[in-house]
Amino acid sequence: MGAGAVSPAGPGRPGGKLAGLTLVTLERSRPLIGPAAGVAAAVILFLLLQGNGFTSTLVVDMLVYAIAAMALDFLGGYTGLISLGQAGILGVGAYGVAIAEVHLFTPWAAVGISLAVVLALGLVLGIVAVRVKGVSFVIITLALGQVLWGLAFQWVGLSEGDNGISVATLPTLGPIDLNDALTLRMTVLLVFWVVALLLVLLVHSPFGLSLRGVRSNEARLAALGYRTGLHRYLAWVITVFFTGVAGVLYVFVNQLISPSTMDFSANGLFVIMVVLGGLRSIWGPALGAAVIVLFQQELSIYVTRWQTLMGLTLIAVMLLRPGGFWGLVRAAGRHRDALIARLRMRRSAGPAAGPSRPAAGPAGQPQAGRAASGTIKPGETR
Amino acid sequence: MAEFLAQTLNGLTLAGVIFLVSSGFTLIFGIMRVTNLSHGAVYLLGGYIGYSVIAATHSFFYGLIAGALSMALFGLLLERTLITWLGRSEMSELLATLGLIYVLDDVALAIWGGTPLTINLPGDLGRSSTLPLAGIVYPNGRLFILGVSVIIAIGLYYLLRRTRVGAIIRAGVDDREMVGALGINVRLVFALVFTLGTLLAGFAGVLGGTVLGLYTGADSDILLFALAVVIVGGLGSYEGAILGSIVIGLVDNYGTAYFPAVAYSALFIPVILVLLIKPQGLLGKPST
Repeated sequence: MGAGAVSPAGPGRPGGKLAGLTLVTLERSRPLIGPAAGVAAAVILFLLLQGNGFTSTLVVDMLVYAIAAMALDFLGGYTGLISLGQAGILGVGAYGVAIAEVHLFTPWAAVGISLAVVLALGLVLGIVAVRVKGVSFVIITLALGQVLWGLAFQWVGLSEGDNGISVATLPTLGPIDLNDALTLRMTVLLVFWVVALLLVLLVHSPFGLSLRGVRSNEARLAALGYRTGLHRYLAWVITVFFTGVAGVLYVFVNQLISPSTMDFSANGLFVIMVVLGGLRSIWGPALGAAVIVLFQQELSIYVTRWQTLMGLTLIAVMLLRPGGFWGLVRAAGRHRDALIARLRMRRSAGPAAGPSRPAAGPAGQPQAGRAASGTIKPGETR
Repeated sequence: MAEFLAQTLNGLTLAGVIFLVSSGFTLIFGIMRVTNLSHGAVYLLGGYIGYSVIAATHSFFYGLIAGALSMALFGLLLERTLITWLGRSEMSELLATLGLIYVLDDVALAIWGGTPLTINLPGDLGRSSTLPLAGIVYPNGRLFILGVSVIIAIGLYYLLRRTRVGAIIRAGVDDREMVGALGINVRLVFALVFTLGTLLAGFAGVLGGTVLGLYTGADSDILLFALAVVIVGGLGSYEGAILGSIVIGLVDNYGTAYFPAVAYSALFIPVILVLLIKPQGLLGKPST
């Protein structure tokens, strides 16, 4: 986040004052960068969604997909259960609303029915899905996603098959009328922030910490008395529910749900969003969703073979940068922390030891700096 | 009754194609722990290449050989490059092969277009004949597919159970490190199994192209079949792939014939039952 761009003042003395200034700036800005970026993103998104044009439509789509991608990261990144049935679950949320409205339920009742169905689906399927881990879990959720797609495609009596179902009336609550395009966009934005913050809170809660434990060493956690199966089950249900919420918003925004929204390619796209954005970061997958939606809806006009490009990008990420976009942000943060440590080291070493110290190996210095200051946690920046 | 018999034969034909795809998938997973999600795309690509070769040479058998060999070569390249570079990380291999699906599908779309294609069988194989005992008229092509699958299943069984190479492969499924420690070139075995798996998938693509057709999405359809097979039969188990293919082929075909609205989802019934009763699959070993 800009930190990497500031070069250390070098071993010479003339940079001493500049180095001190850099250190103060970096130290002061360190706790502010995260919130500042959040506020900036909030303001930019708010402004982008004001217009009625192409941009706001694109951004709203990005937000809907981002909700589901973040939910998937909660399960895949923190629990290690990567689901390839995410688009299927999103489809259930969307079809729930559409089918309920076809059967003449009021829009609010339709939302309630849809979320109840999604929750029930999560509770029931979780019993089966969470019995396995790793590759087997991916395979089972892939099969689940395909089955949900199959139902939407073949069960014409319920889903109207390939044509899909359109949803004309959206819910109204007092003065808030979702049939108004701007109100709907603002609602999507609000839900996006609520889900994002809830997920971040969950990740940093004791529950989130034990989920990480389940991912990295389940046997040890089980030996410590944690009910690891229950942990995975709950994480699955939470993810399914938020994905269902994204599905409800999807059908409101698009006013149409058809099987193509939940086919194999769509299921894979969610995983690509999360991996490209960066597993275990919540924000990274939101970024990944934005990039993929941008590609799918806009750049596909100019780049005919964008799917090839996307597939190759995913392969390149797996080979070169498994941390994804957010891995780059984290790396920038680590550079900044190393720089702070180096500058502190130089200051605390003082004029006495000055001339000889900067020549020491760069690898040793940051650690010494950290040990001296004790305030910077290595590794994680957020 | 004749109708039911015909449907059973249809189911077994489907099982034959599914077996050819899933046996490769399961062997690759069993010995290398590589989940090659692009296995379905390899099937489709093999089918398309077979289609083009048949169009050019007017020989079904050249097409069959071209589809199988081209995909064997592709598999060898894939194993020597991407899979080796990723270095034994199960999830990265899975995700990279997911990316590969999009590339292969897109390339296939660019070359062969989005219109569904069907491979026509030559001569007598394209006709139907009356089956002796049952007295039903049934396409020869489907019987041919069934026969070829059974022969390959027996051949593979012989290879795995009765030959030295098979013994090494089975030992590799049980304990890779130990096999390596015994001085066997594990990398060669990996390349061999991966190549064999994609060869079978490409071969199946040409056979499947005659009865199931070649179209965008055929790869995810066949991949779902293969995945259902390995869940039911047990991931990594060859005998499990045979058993699973028969179950899934029959269930899907009876579903399509008698419950068209939920046919695709009927596959999930055996899958769920197996997961509830024996999560590692009917013939799978418990995961460690």
